[in-house]
Amino acid sequence: MVLKKSILYIIIIILILIWLLPIWTSFLAAFKSPEDFINQKFYELPSEFSLIENFKNVFSIYKLHRHFLNSIIYAVAGGTIAIIAASLAGFSIIRLKPKFNFPLFLIIYSGTLFPFQIFLIPLYKMFNTIGLYDTRIGMILFYSAICIPFSLFVYRGFYTTIPREIEEAARLDGCNSFKLYLHIFVPQSIAPTAVIALFQMTWIWNDLLFGMILTRSRSTRPIMIALASMSGPSGGTIIPYAMAGAIFTSIPTILLFILLRKYFIQGMVLQISNE
Amino acid sequence: MRNYKYSFTSYLFILPAFLLVFIFLIIPVLQTFYYSFLEWDGIKEPVFIGLGNYLRIFSDDNFIVSFRNTIIWVVFTLIFPFAGGLLVAVFVKGLALENFFKSIFYIPITISFVATGIIWTYMFSRELGVINNLIAAFGVDKISWLTNVPLNTFAMLIAWTWQQLGINMVLFLMGLATIPTEQIEAAMLDGAGKWRTFIHVTFPMLRPITTIVITMAIVNSFKAFDLIYVMTRGGPYNSSETLAVTMFRETFTLSRLGYGSAISIILSVIVIAVSAIYIKRMASKDMLYY
Repeated sequence: MVLKKSILYIIIIILILIWLLPIWTSFLAAFKSPEDFINQKFYELPSEFSLIENFKNVFSIYKLHRHFLNSIIYAVAGGTIAIIAASLAGFSIIRLKPKFNFPLFLIIYSGTLFPFQIFLIPLYKMFNTIGLYDTRIGMILFYSAICIPFSLFVYRGFYTTIPREIEEAARLDGCNSFKLYLHIFVPQSIAPTAVIALFQMTWIWNDLLFGMILTRSRSTRPIMIALASMSGPSGGTIIPYAMAGAIFTSIPTILLFILLRKYFIQGMVLQISNE
Repeated sequence: MRNYKYSFTSYLFILPAFLLVFIFLIIPVLQTFYYSFLEWDGIKEPVFIGLGNYLRIFSDDNFIVSFRNTIIWVVFTLIFPFAGGLLVAVFVKGLALENFFKSIFYIPITISFVATGIIWTYMFSRELGVINNLIAAFGVDKISWLTNVPLNTFAMLIAWTWQQLGINMVLFLMGLATIPTEQIEAAMLDGAGKWRTFIHVTFPMLRPITTIVITMAIVNSFKAFDLIYVMTRGGPYNSSETLAVTMFRETFTLSRLGYGSAISIILSVIVIAVSAIYIKRMASKDMLYY
């Protein structure tokens, strides 16, 4: 029994070492100057602490900080618009129940079914035609649109759990639909809103594909395109810079994860049950 | 008891969400469907060629390579992250340091596929990469992981597993939590060993979760793009492309908009067909209709 248990622990520990290896070695590389990196073994400690120097170079060569700002704007604005639009729609579909509420839900929800490739060409054409190509406003509108179906799915499910009696009492007090939404439903939706905000903002932050298609200049391109340009099969990669970049761009999502771990896992489960 | 007094307001509430999704998602789907019947470079007048693009796909060697790679992705994402996630979930459940162990496998989930690709490009790089230096200790020669076919696909699958395993682990842990311990104990009392209990009792009871994880693995591997784009750009010579990457290259590098559209339609049909299995399951449980 003791032997079995220790074998179990050994297997787990080996797996954990494998899982930690990329994190540990990429951090180590990010702390080294490019010279140190070439002259040392991967596991050796840096002879001088160069993380700050690497960050400076990453900012001056790849302008990561500017793309960082773009993506913060997209994540916050896109996530917020999606939350407002989806919660209003979810409230109406579930509580006001107009005619065709279910078909309307299905049409909006169907946005999550397709692989992203199916949107690319028409979006690219449309953005060029109506002047949204390479603009921040275009990116914000698109990111809100693509976040709405999942957000609606979550709100729709959540609003069914709010008891009818509260609604009826508010109606008797003369609440109209908007007041009912604002004063009764919004204050109760903190948990689902946290899940959605966390999950959709992380998604926008991590997006590569749409940013690549719909933007071209430094003032609009999201962070992941800039990060992807730091490494590639054609060579010329300076590994300590690339690792510093990978770490720098992961800070917001890792922070969110640490702060709101409970919601993160809830959201992941919802995302999966949504696939 | 439908109250039509609120009808106008209720549509007004749905309108913003509907408009955004309709303009940016639904219309593009219909357009892509139409484009897939065109011969079009995006500049000259498009020519209607009927099923021409679809017929060309099946005689295109490059598409066949890409399709084969996509199947490899599907098969191996089922083996590695699926089996790995299940094993880790069963292993860590109830251990003294369960939460600590779980956290280690969660960390990569929070990192983007782009950052994952960058980190693993370093791990697998030929001269200074971590893996080649590690295996050198055992006297193995340097390997060109990312330029060798099919090693490069295998390398990317390892990066994928590193990133995705935690999600499957979480799901399986949820599934395990729903299994009543009495059932397991009863089986053990009947003399079934740990392994046989797992095969005959635990695993069958995990079926709902297993269906989700398998569906998700298939759907996601058909969609795989970011990691491949970062690590190999689909190369060398398009040898590590999957359908999603081929579509991107045909469209935005070669300007074959009609052909790219046809590939994305085929991709969508496959993904939706697989998802339908899952959605049907959900609908049968009345989850869609609450």
